Amino acid sequence: MTPDNGAFMVAGYVVAAVILIVYALSLFVRVQGARKR
Amino acid sequence: MTPIDRAFRLARWGGVVTGAALLGVAGVYVRALVYTPVERFQGPAQKIFYIHVPSAWGALLGFAVTGVLSILYLWVKDRRIDIAAAASAEVGVALSVVLLTTGPIWGKPIWGTWWTWDARLTSTLFLFLLFVGYLVMRGVVVDPGLRSRFSAVIGVMGLVLIPFIHLTVYMFRTLHPAPIVLKPSKPSLPGEMLVTLLTSVAVFTVVYLGFLTQRYALGLIRDLREREAAGDA
Repeated sequence: MTPDNGAFMVAGYVVAAVILIVYALSLFVRVQGARKR
Repeated sequence: MTPIDRAFRLARWGGVVTGAALLGVAGVYVRALVYTPVERFQGPAQKIFYIHVPSAWGALLGFAVTGVLSILYLWVKDRRIDIAAAASAEVGVALSVVLLTTGPIWGKPIWGTWWTWDARLTSTLFLFLLFVGYLVMRGVVVDPGLRSRFSAVIGVMGLVLIPFIHLTVYMFRTLHPAPIVLKPSKPSLPGEMLVTLLTSVAVFTVVYLGFLTQRYALGLIRDLREREAAGDA
């Protein structure tokens, strides 16, 4: 029988998306910060 | 156009590539979650594989590029190579965070534990910590020449670890699955799953390139400003 572990799948995808978005935003903010200097 | 203007233009292009790559990641999510079949024995949690493996690829690519650039830096001593190596290391660390968080989230339902100190997991964690140390070291060593040389040595040490990490599943008895694509025989994955995995690997490569371009441009801007302030730009 196929196990019911969809919550782990959702957690994995959400965590990965958050990390990628946070790093992308950190780069964006740092570039904008350098522009203002 | 001044060198700083060129660096800002590069950062803008990097931002465009990153934006496109993140849209690509959204596309991978839709393909993986909606259109790729659920694996019969592992259930939906197996789909974490479509993010975990590409993030491993991106992280190792980042560290390998750092290692190769480090060798090149020790040879030609061009500071732009050092800046690119550091940029690639930082992106590698960011993608390693995805790798090291999605792995345990998959491991818990499949292995029954979040973490085990087997050879693959432990060596990957060591590689991550080595490059975290690399970034911390760059933040505390003030002398640019020393900083670049120390960084290059750590970068080469990381490069040496990468093939070892790939081979750990053959060299040691580990819980971690053996490669199903990067192996001498044909990939052992059904067609639809293989297409999703390879698409995700391609998208994560673009994510890496977008991040790398932005981070490299940022490093160039900082370097040019520092040299400007020191009066030798």
